[in-house]
Amino acid sequence: MRTLARDAALLLALTLGLGAAANQLRPHRLPWWGQGQQPPMVNVDFRLLDVGTAETLWSSLPRVVVLDTRPAEDGAAGRIPGAWHVEYTDLASFLTAERLAELQQADAVIIYGRDDEGDLEQLMAQELHRRGVQPPFVMVGGFPAWEAAGFEVEVAP
Amino acid sequence: MKRLRNVWLHRALGLALGAVFLYAAKDKLIDPRPLVTIIWGYQLLPNGPINLIAIFMPWMELLVGLTLLTGVKRRAGAFWATLMLTGFIVALGINAARGLNVACGCFSTSATDTQNAWLLVLRDLPMWLAAAVMLLFPPPERPRAETRESSPGT
Repeated sequence: MRTLARDAALLLALTLGLGAAANQLRPHRLPWWGQGQQPPMVNVDFRLLDVGTAETLWSSLPRVVVLDTRPAEDGAAGRIPGAWHVEYTDLASFLTAERLAELQQADAVIIYGRDDEGDLEQLMAQELHRRGVQPPFVMVGGFPAWEAAGFEVEVAP
Repeated sequence: MKRLRNVWLHRALGLALGAVFLYAAKDKLIDPRPLVTIIWGYQLLPNGPINLIAIFMPWMELLVGLTLLTGVKRRAGAFWATLMLTGFIVALGINAARGLNVACGCFSTSATDTQNAWLLVLRDLPMWLAAAVMLLFPPPERPRAETRESSPGT
């Protein structure tokens, strides 16, 4: 029993040490005490879109920006034609003034990931919306749904 | 009861549950920021401690995963695994009961009904059981003779 208590305390101490160190070292560290972060709200920060409607928007509007949040190798194997590759963690460095302007002027911004989890896509939409982009569309089902629907796919050369 | 103390049972459970914990920890360790929003979505905790959980919990998951997998301090790992899983089950259960749409990823568009939330609870139960067995029924301490056997040269 005493060994268990000692080992459990050891694990707790290690956790506290590693967690604190990692949070100090990360470029994007979290404040220790939460300030109250509003999660992305559907129809406020982003809108959900099925692949069929996404394809209609994409093919009928002149200025649609599509963002692919998957890892680069996934995007190279197949993506929506013309999609920009940007992962959530790289968003800040990705958003040059030029790109942000293009996003702000777009008729629609469509974001998709690799599955229907969509949480990172929604966070990205929220950050874009905060920067003055009109609420982006998050494509339900991600790229697999697009591919399964038989829509156009671009493979990197 | 004696069967529950079987060393091989503990190794097997440790491998399985340890792998689950390591897998669960991976994304959160790389970037815990989405986790803040996810925990927020559970609507169970005030804003303050949410960040602390997001900062530290992934590391506990990592350590628990390692102890369970390797068997080093496995029982202590099982202690924290049981505690965390209890927390997860309670959190998921409360939200399933009040019909709130939370998934592990919280905004998951795939978990649109409460049935899914109950499934998540169900999925956690066998893990909780495995952790509890490792915690409550530790295999007997290895007799000295066995350690001698393993190093016959000395």
